[in-house]
Amino acid sequence: MKKILALMVVFLLVVSAFAGCGSNNSSADNNSEAQSNGSQDSSPNSDSTEKTELTFWELSSKQEALEQMVEEFNSTHSDIEVTVSYFEVDGIKDSLKVAASSNTLPNMWFNWGGSLGGFYAENDLIYDLSDYADSHGWYDLYNPGALNLCTLDGKLAGYPRSYNTIGMYYRTDIFEEYGLEVPTTFEEFENVCAVLKENGITPISTAGLNGWHVMRFVELLVEHYAGAEKHDALNTFATSWDDEDVVQALTKYEEFVEKGYLPEGFVTFDPNDTQLLTFSGQAAMDIQGPWYDGNIISEGQDMEDYDTFAFPSGGTNRMSAFVEMIQLNANNSEAEVDASIEFLNFYYSDENTEKYSDIYNLPLPKKGAPMPEGMPNVENLLSMSGENGTFTITDQAFVPQVADALFDVQDAIATDAMTPEEGAKTIQAAIEDYFAQQ
Amino acid sequence: MKGKKSIDWPAYLFMLPALIIYISVIVFPVFYSLYVSLHKWNGIGEMEFIGLSNYVKLITQDDIFLIAIKNNAIWIVLTVAFITAISLGFAVILNKQFKGRTFFRGFFYFPAVIAPIAVAIIWRWIYNPNIGFINEFFGAIGLDFKQNWISNPETSLYAIFIAALWQGIGQPMIIFLAGLQTVPVEVLEAATIDGAGSVRKFIHVTIPMMKETFIIVLATLIVAALKVFDVIQGLTGGGPNNSTQMLSTYMYSQTFKYANVGTGTAISVIMVLIMIFIIVPYVSFTAKED
Repeated sequence: MKKILALMVVFLLVVSAFAGCGSNNSSADNNSEAQSNGSQDSSPNSDSTEKTELTFWELSSKQEALEQMVEEFNSTHSDIEVTVSYFEVDGIKDSLKVAASSNTLPNMWFNWGGSLGGFYAENDLIYDLSDYADSHGWYDLYNPGALNLCTLDGKLAGYPRSYNTIGMYYRTDIFEEYGLEVPTTFEEFENVCAVLKENGITPISTAGLNGWHVMRFVELLVEHYAGAEKHDALNTFATSWDDEDVVQALTKYEEFVEKGYLPEGFVTFDPNDTQLLTFSGQAAMDIQGPWYDGNIISEGQDMEDYDTFAFPSGGTNRMSAFVEMIQLNANNSEAEVDASIEFLNFYYSDENTEKYSDIYNLPLPKKGAPMPEGMPNVENLLSMSGENGTFTITDQAFVPQVADALFDVQDAIATDAMTPEEGAKTIQAAIEDYFAQQ
Repeated sequence: MKGKKSIDWPAYLFMLPALIIYISVIVFPVFYSLYVSLHKWNGIGEMEFIGLSNYVKLITQDDIFLIAIKNNAIWIVLTVAFITAISLGFAVILNKQFKGRTFFRGFFYFPAVIAPIAVAIIWRWIYNPNIGFINEFFGAIGLDFKQNWISNPETSLYAIFIAALWQGIGQPMIIFLAGLQTVPVEVLEAATIDGAGSVRKFIHVTIPMMKETFIIVLATLIVAALKVFDVIQGLTGGGPNNSTQMLSTYMYSQTFKYANVGTGTAISVIMVLIMIFIIVPYVSFTAKED
């Protein structure tokens, strides 16, 4: 009797397990069916009584304001429900790769241009917005340069959200205290660093964990020694990195480290913490983009104490630039695309950009977009980049494994584990290795 | 007269749900990883069969992989030597009767409940060369001993290990504590009557009687040491210049940063082989002794 009872219990367990799998499968099937059908004829969400549910991956720096915006959007749009997941800068890059390989990308996600966003365009994972842009007048609405940088692998790979140029933020009060002028030549810049160091101030705040913040300085040195034309050729791998100008740039970087112009132990500092030294007055300069004005405001700093200049790399003093976008999933149905754009238009509406100005990289990349109030460096950076010209930021010009090789070289030179000559050869070897793998 | 042994079908049926789950989430992914490791694949496009090339390249051409192997070996040795010894020491002390024993058990176990990534953040601030606790402490007592604890490739691995040690002793300590309580008091009393001192009793009676506990602790510690990821990723990300790179962090980079899924899974297969190579002889040797 007991055995029969036991058998029955086990039978029920097994059946319920299968039933569970079955119901999951059927729901997954429905979902995938919805997606595939939707991409063809948008049927799943065409019923006005059905909610279009959207998932969105965004940077955690936007969380506080975006949560309020999403709540407002969801409450005013009975047919759309947006759910947001938040990630750190490096976390979102890795999480997107994981999602891409398991076919679980959200409906829309934040991404950068260049090789980072290009991966999804090249692998047909993004919704090509070219036709949408044509039919909705985006080419009259958006800055052509921003749309151009969002065009990857021949597709308009995302909703353009910002066009950023990176400059040298500096503490005006510290410069005044030591009688320093904004440097106009590289030699003057070195002199500024020397004076600051003599007075116990770290000249440049930077952080090496993940590599990209230190890269902002190294790429300026490459621009200085190689010049604009060769730098562009280096970034497109058209010329070898095992080059005398690259060696000189890396040698100068080594010299800056040895002289203590970068913070003690910077190679493992978190890039989110570079502002600690600058805001506390322990460091005088930080290579940042227009979002830094928002940080200055949100951390209660006095904007009067901050100004920007273009690094005097020589030539026209070109500045590093990159674009940011929101990419849409290639599997989105037409209804999901429409709902996504509706949400993004709300997210980047004039009303919200004014209300939550410190979380946006303003101005928006729209024609005639107003400059944000109380953020003078945003306009400075934009006008300087317009006059000086720009180059693509290195970690978007490079594929990730080559960028990581550069980051390793930065670490190795800073810790005396490698000479600049070896560094240049190592970067070139990583490039050749990448091409050999393709 | 013995009857024919009947098959216990209900027992097998009871195992079936767990077996299905085990096969689908453990066995299948293991063999699928082995299959993927023989291919060149970016995780999205078509797989290209390349045989053992991923393994050959890792072993013969990839310096970072060799650094990771060396670092994992160092980490295993440090783990077995220090975490085992210190957690056993704490367990022995906390097994004695004294006032506040329960509080101290909780106190020393506490770091084990903190998420490893939070441990990494805490220790990053402790090690900060400019405003970190350690350098500030040395400064406060008048010692000019400022160090770049985790930024120096010579010290970074050991500095991270100390953070891991702080968190890692709680779990084995509890297991040792449970093991110590299984040692019969009568046996220890008999040893005392025979004239054995505390140290002799501990070495010749307590430790041999805790053999199963040691198997569990050492096996889990070695596996954890080979898989160590969070605390490394959070503190240095494998840097500076790969000096703290581990097999797990390198596997992660290859798979999820560079989209070299074949190479990444080859590293994971090698990790499993190393685990089998270390754990199986150890467990079978100690089991044979019984």
